[in-house]
Amino acid sequence: MFREGIGEGTFTGYHPWVNLTYYIFAVGLTILTLSPWFLAATFVMAWMYSLLLRGREVVKINLILSLWIFVIMGALNLFFSHEGVTVLCYIGDNAITAEALAYGISAGIMLVSVILWFSSFNVIMSAEKLIFIFGRALPVLGLTLSMVFRYVPLLKQRFADIRMGQACLAKAEKPGYLQKVRQFGREVSILISWSLESSIESADSMEARGYGLPGRTSFHLYRFTGRDGRMLAAMILLGGFTAACLIGGTAKVQFYPEHIVPAFDPMTGAALACYCLLLALPILIDIHGELRWRRFDSAM
Amino acid sequence: METIRFSNVTFSYPLAEAPALREVDFSAQPSEFIVVCGKSGCGKTTLLRHMKKNLVPYGRFEGSVTYDGEDIQKLDDRRSASEIGFVQQDPDNQIVTDKVWHEMAFGLESLGVDPQTIRRRVAEMASFFDIQTWFRKDVSQLSGGQKQMLNLASIMVMQPKLLILDEPTSQLDPIAAGDFFRTIHRINRELGITVIISEHRLEDVFAMADKVCVMDQGRILVCDAPERIGAFLTGETEADRHPMFYGLPSVTKIFHGAGARGKAPLTVREGRLWLEETVQAAKERAAGPAAEEKTESAAADQEEKAAPAVIRAKDLWFRYDKKSQDVLRDLQLEVRKGEWMAVLGGNGVGKSTMLKVICGMIKPQRGSLTEEGRIVMLPQNPKALFTEIEVEDELLEVLHGSSLSDEEKVRRVTEMMKLLGIDHLSHSHPYDLSGGEEQRLALGKVLLLDPDILLLDEPTKGLDPFFKVTLAGILRKLCQQGQTILMVSHDIEFCAEYVDRCAMFFDGGITSVGEAKEFFRGNHFYTTTANRIARDHFPDAITWEEVAACVRPLI
Repeated sequence: MFREGIGEGTFTGYHPWVNLTYYIFAVGLTILTLSPWFLAATFVMAWMYSLLLRGREVVKINLILSLWIFVIMGALNLFFSHEGVTVLCYIGDNAITAEALAYGISAGIMLVSVILWFSSFNVIMSAEKLIFIFGRALPVLGLTLSMVFRYVPLLKQRFADIRMGQACLAKAEKPGYLQKVRQFGREVSILISWSLESSIESADSMEARGYGLPGRTSFHLYRFTGRDGRMLAAMILLGGFTAACLIGGTAKVQFYPEHIVPAFDPMTGAALACYCLLLALPILIDIHGELRWRRFDSAM
Repeated sequence: METIRFSNVTFSYPLAEAPALREVDFSAQPSEFIVVCGKSGCGKTTLLRHMKKNLVPYGRFEGSVTYDGEDIQKLDDRRSASEIGFVQQDPDNQIVTDKVWHEMAFGLESLGVDPQTIRRRVAEMASFFDIQTWFRKDVSQLSGGQKQMLNLASIMVMQPKLLILDEPTSQLDPIAAGDFFRTIHRINRELGITVIISEHRLEDVFAMADKVCVMDQGRILVCDAPERIGAFLTGETEADRHPMFYGLPSVTKIFHGAGARGKAPLTVREGRLWLEETVQAAKERAAGPAAEEKTESAAADQEEKAAPAVIRAKDLWFRYDKKSQDVLRDLQLEVRKGEWMAVLGGNGVGKSTMLKVICGMIKPQRGSLTEEGRIVMLPQNPKALFTEIEVEDELLEVLHGSSLSDEEKVRRVTEMMKLLGIDHLSHSHPYDLSGGEEQRLALGKVLLLDPDILLLDEPTKGLDPFFKVTLAGILRKLCQQGQTILMVSHDIEFCAEYVDRCAMFFDGGITSVGEAKEFFRGNHFYTTTANRIARDHFPDAITWEEVAACVRPLI
């Protein structure tokens, strides 16, 4: 249905604070527990959201990433941690235990989930939103970030110009390895002096427009609406409840010396339900939004 | 009260031998449109920078500069920032932030305006400048013309009373430059903002100006209505002409070149009306054939040059990647040995791509390309070539690794500097050179490689009219030595005056090609201003000098 991914869906349109809160909860709660129920929930949801936004192009890279981290984490823990009572076998004098394996797998899933959350984070939290958020905390940081995002493409362009210019001058014979290094050094040196030179003009332009006067304000295009408020409230409620339960000791898993998964009591069930709902919110919103567009398109 | 007043200002940069401004007296009334022109290095930029507090250069200063009756230096920072706007040459370097909307808000943020007001003012300006469609774009996605328009808009949101522009269109192509000038004109006419602009390209701004100031060696020679400037610069005889005369718009040059007196026409329309009147008057006087005889001069020297082709491109096709469109489609081109050929055409149609293909930097997907001799290309931006800290070293660097003796290298470099007229700058830093000098140095680097074929990408961009004449002389000399020149350009007037053959690039290929005179005679719109003015009466006259020569006997 969404083979190419929906890209920036409906959830992106919410206020940056809402987007950020979602990720704080998604990643924060993932780190908070090693309970298999919760890990399964976050792992599945992170996969789903990443897939929904970015489509099949992301399947391969996600799979490779998941598998490797999983294997490495599992193996590392298996071979370097020798605690636990259920010994599977011995390698030399070292015990390989089932508990270490269980811990390695759990931690691996946790790490993979966090990385997968960032895969969708990249789509949702554009540079513009990050600038806004940092700008709220520290206006200078916001502006600096904005300037960085301005200069990176500019420098790239300039470097391409320089390469091209230098290629025009290229001597006839094929350059050796040493000459190539020299040439690269020369190009970088041009880039630096050119950029330093032009930064004087940029500084003039900033000052000419009053930069440095006291009482600078910071402008943005985001508006916090009722929709954002309701969403934020729902997230804080769901996330807060889950966090409180987890911190309070619900579904606390013990690995050493013995792997003990507590029974699935009603409290765990409630917390898990809240957690799943929280994580699924943007997915539901995006799918709903997508379906609405399709209805709209077919009605036209 | 005057918006800006200079009283007897003399200014010298530290360590400079001659002052950059000498006894300048100058004033601008509210809502005036003033154009400042003059050779590069005549003090235009220094003059303009004295009008904005934070840009005033460091050096020895005498006299006084006042804004609205108040000394510029004592002006309140906040007031100076918002009421005096300054647009610089380079579109890229002035942009600070990554988004169009943020750039527009930047000045107001600095002034501490509350977000609600910023929202409103930005919206107003975005509508005035018609930038709604790219309001949320990244600035890196904009074209040069859009960038400069954004720079202007981000100053206009601060609601300035005085707008100063320092050669704002030198990096733009003619179409973007025209748009930019029209916007400036609107700002002046519709909002009543005082505009002071320095410019080389007088063709467009001359008719908009209330006053034109001509500067020379730090002095203001004359500051008068544009209709009277021509008469002042023409002088009594041809030798008496001020060099700035050659920078005037073609209409004015024709008018004065033909020896007419009175109020000079400023636009093509006025020029055509004046010519019509003159021709009619002459006909009535003579009541016989007067003008139509004049055709022999243009058709005279038409000797066939059958030199062999050194570049032969046949059926070239190129696109940057599989999904994009063809940039070159079925391109045919032949350049003969020892000739100077120009390819003209619109913006972003693939002219530069064509040069890259010929230069061998990119491979065409289809077609054949044969070249004889060593090809070297001069890139658009000379800065991309400079690595050393002195002009002389910069040129020597090219010969690094060649088998010549040291004395021979130095001899060649010295010769090259003489040829290009930059020998007095041999110990300057390349970045301290003016635009025209940078261009010359870059050309020198390329020429030291001793190419057989020279490719030039927009060599006249940002050059003042006098250096264009010098450049034409240098290039002509190269052709006489048997080197071949192929250039792409927007500069119709330059091509018409100096180039051997011109070709029109359109839709990925060459659509028409011919001897320069022939080529422009065949075009109706894409031709020189002089030709557009005079084509009804003198269809063979392409350059202003030819038109002026045709008109002179009628007056």
